[in-house]
Amino acid sequence: MCAQALLRSRVWHSANMLQQDLLRRLCRARDRLRSDDERSPSIPEVAREAGVSPFHFIRLFAAVFGETPHQHRIAARLERARHLLARGEHTVTEVCLEVGFSSLGSFSDLFTRRIGVAPSIYQRRLRTSVQVPGALPPLLIPGCFLLMCGPAGLQLAISEKHRAGPR
Amino acid sequence: MKIKLNSIFVDDQSKALKFYTEVLGFVQKHDIPVGEFRWLTVVSPDGPDNLELVLEPNANPAARTFQESLLEQGIPLTAFEVDDIHGEYERLKRLGVVFTREPITAGPVTVAIFSDTCGNLIQLYQPTAAP
Repeated sequence: MCAQALLRSRVWHSANMLQQDLLRRLCRARDRLRSDDERSPSIPEVAREAGVSPFHFIRLFAAVFGETPHQHRIAARLERARHLLARGEHTVTEVCLEVGFSSLGSFSDLFTRRIGVAPSIYQRRLRTSVQVPGALPPLLIPGCFLLMCGPAGLQLAISEKHRAGPR
Repeated sequence: MKIKLNSIFVDDQSKALKFYTEVLGFVQKHDIPVGEFRWLTVVSPDGPDNLELVLEPNANPAARTFQESLLEQGIPLTAFEVDDIHGEYERLKRLGVVFTREPITAGPVTVAIFSDTCGNLIQLYQPTAAP
C-alpha cells in the first residue's frame, strides 16, 4: 500500500493520542532505518525495538512520517548516494553497492525517479559546476545558502571557500 | 520593514506541498527551482493574503538537528490559528492526521498538536472567547 492509502486508513484511528514516549521511540526507529551499518536492521526488528507489532509499526510510521519504513530507508540510501556521487571519488556502480543496493538497474531507476536525473548525469553535472581545483563539493556548503543564492551564488561560495583554505 | 515570510523546515518539499495543500488547505504561491531545491511557498485562503509560508528544505545538517530535536521533545515547530479547533481536529483526523495532543483548553487558548508528515509537529490554536 502506498503511504497515502495508509495515511487514510481507518484501521489506525483510535481515541488514543500518539504519546510522547511512543513518538520518541518512532524517532529512534527512524534513525535506525537510516543507519548505514554493514548490518542494517530489518523492519520487524526495528518494530520490535519500538515495542510495536510490525503491522502497526508500518501504519503508525507512515501516518507520522508520511512514508513507510521501507520507503524511508530507501530515501536515506539515495540521500547517501547523492553525497557520494557529489564527492566524485566513486563510480556509480561503487556508490550503488556502497549504499546497499545490489542491483545497479534498480538503484538507477529509484535514483532517477526520486532525484530527477540518472546518477551518472547527476555526478557529471556536479563535477562540471565545480571548476575550482581543490574546492569543496557543493553538498558541503549549507543547503540554506544554496537555497538563497542559487547556482551563481554557489560558484561564489566555492571560490570563497577556496581562498579561505581547507577547513 | 514588513513581515511577509514565515518559514518552516520540511524533510521533503514535494511531500510537504502535498500535505500543506491537500490536507491543511493552504494554496501554493511560488515554486521556483533554485539549484537542487525549490523556492516553495504557500498562502492561506483565510489570510493574511500576502503572508507566505516557505517550505524550506532541511538539507543543512544544523536544520536537520534542530528539527529532529524539536520533534523528539514533542515541541511544535510553529502554530496556526483556527476559528473552530474541534471542527479542524475532526476533519484532520478523518484525513489520517496523527495528533500528539487532542484539543485542550489552557487559559486564553485551546490547542492541539499534530504531525505534518514532514518531520515536524504543528500546533493549532483557537483563542478562547472573551467572557
